[in-house]
Amino acid sequence: MRLLRLELTKLFAQRRSYVGWAALLAVPLLMTLALYLNRNNAHHDNGPGGMISLAMHNGLLMPIAAITLLSGFLLPLLASMVGSYQLAGEAETGTIKTWLMHSISRGGVIVSKWGVAVIYVAIGLAIVAAGAFVAGALAFGLHAPTLLSGQTVNVGQGLWLTLLSYLYVLAGVICVLSLALLFATFTNSSLTAAIAALVVVIVMNILGAFSYFDFLKPYLFTSRVDAWQSLFSQPVEWSPILKGVLVFAVYTVALLVAAWLKFRRKDILV
Amino acid sequence: MNTLSTPIGERPASHPAAEQPVVLATHELTKSFGSTLAVDHLSLSVRRGDIFGFLGPNGAGKTTTIRMIVGLIYPTSGYAEVLDHQVPRDKEAALRHIGGFVEVPAFYGNMSARRNLRLMGSLNGKIEEARIDEVLDVVGLRERADSKVGDYSHGMKQRLGIANALINKPELVILDEPTSGLDPQGMKDVRELVRELGAGGTTVFLSSHLLNEVEQVCNRAAIIDKGRVVVEGPVSELRPEHQAVKVLTSDQARAREVIAAFLGADQVRLDEEYLIVESSDGTVRELVKQLVAAEIGVDAIIPAHEQGLEDYFLGLTQSSDVDASRASNATEGASR
Repeated sequence: MRLLRLELTKLFAQRRSYVGWAALLAVPLLMTLALYLNRNNAHHDNGPGGMISLAMHNGLLMPIAAITLLSGFLLPLLASMVGSYQLAGEAETGTIKTWLMHSISRGGVIVSKWGVAVIYVAIGLAIVAAGAFVAGALAFGLHAPTLLSGQTVNVGQGLWLTLLSYLYVLAGVICVLSLALLFATFTNSSLTAAIAALVVVIVMNILGAFSYFDFLKPYLFTSRVDAWQSLFSQPVEWSPILKGVLVFAVYTVALLVAAWLKFRRKDILV
Repeated sequence: MNTLSTPIGERPASHPAAEQPVVLATHELTKSFGSTLAVDHLSLSVRRGDIFGFLGPNGAGKTTTIRMIVGLIYPTSGYAEVLDHQVPRDKEAALRHIGGFVEVPAFYGNMSARRNLRLMGSLNGKIEEARIDEVLDVVGLRERADSKVGDYSHGMKQRLGIANALINKPELVILDEPTSGLDPQGMKDVRELVRELGAGGTTVFLSSHLLNEVEQVCNRAAIIDKGRVVVEGPVSELRPEHQAVKVLTSDQARAREVIAAFLGADQVRLDEEYLIVESSDGTVRELVKQLVAAEIGVDAIIPAHEQGLEDYFLGLTQSSDVDASRASNATEGASR
């Protein structure tokens, strides 16, 4: 816990942290603005995805629309960057050797760095949700939301479903940052590790896009990320959600263990 | 910073070294990178209160050895021992007693010196603000404590590295070439600082490629080359026993006869205007008496090897085999 707290100190001292969060916040704000300015011919131009059309006249669903846009690229990008920077970034500056010359375990270092990356992404998602909610409420007001399947639920239930979908997306993004952390144990360049993680995500997306590779699909975490949308049909179909959570957990644990095995005996030569 | 001006070689035996417990020992420590042997069965021991010079040319394996002692890299074989804690097996316990840096001290450039010290110091336990001020005072960085380390000069970072080494009051301070890249005043300051640390009872392990630095600062030293210990012992004993002096007198021919009669003909020769006399401790004084008794005016007596250890060191490390420099270059490449 002490290690995690000290890692957080470093995170909050870095300007790049705030730049990443600002970039995330820009998305729901721009999206709401676009939808608001275009509200009169909205029925013809809904942008990507069914979720966005749901959010069209309801600020309450704006966070959901925002995450649809973000989960494709910007979130994985930021997760890769924060995951890789934790280790490889400190190798670049040499500070990892100063850090490791203390009475701390390598395993503790890996877990705390993973933890701080998770916290970073979680804060980022909270910022997106809050920004989208406020902007959406100002632009379109808050109403009892209509789901994809056509029913209307009350505001409380709508917020609850939103929270669940954010947590689900967070679990998916944690796979990406764990992957980046693993790559960061192999290289001293944070950019290399971040790009390597993104390449894996893109390759998984490509594999998931072809029916020939359908047999792989259940095992690709990227193909699971959109499963949260089933929360917005009544009755909720839980099985894809639970399977998704299981796949995310298996990936995360396996990647973390691999990162630990590699880092445990690594020669720090920076 | 106050000065301890006594050269260590002549220092009164304030550290009866043999009776003090061993703070740091390496046992057959070995590290190879691929086919290159960077450190080769290196064994040495450092006792409490020592200012131990770890001396060798660049690429001799000094930094690689230090990295193994602090658990940054894993030995191919052998181990280090810090106060009964084995490294790497028990390195967390060992590192509780070690402060120091390897190569250039690295800090978070976007934070102030004070925040860096607070952060790093907290890794080994609780750290008090008063202690931070104290170590900043020791290295003379108190006024700049709140500037970002990114704006620091190389010399200031070096001093901050020493402050950080001291923050947890460790028993063993390991400094890897702490004066490298410093201007003469900076070097002097750092050397004085190290002497003061030693005077305060802290054990210091100081790596250096500068012989005069080790002579000025250390009481014990090991000379390493190609990953092996060439000599280890008190700095005063590392000096060659017989030292030549150059003698200039009013009558060189007669002086030569007098000296030859006193020391033997093979101990004196004429080199340009000087007589070169192989002398050992105490003989110079006697020599002068004899010359004066023979009514020969003594104009000058100069140590022939002004570098002292330097010549000795070169003799040790630059062995006659022509591959020596090539081999040491290869080792240097591997240890980076």
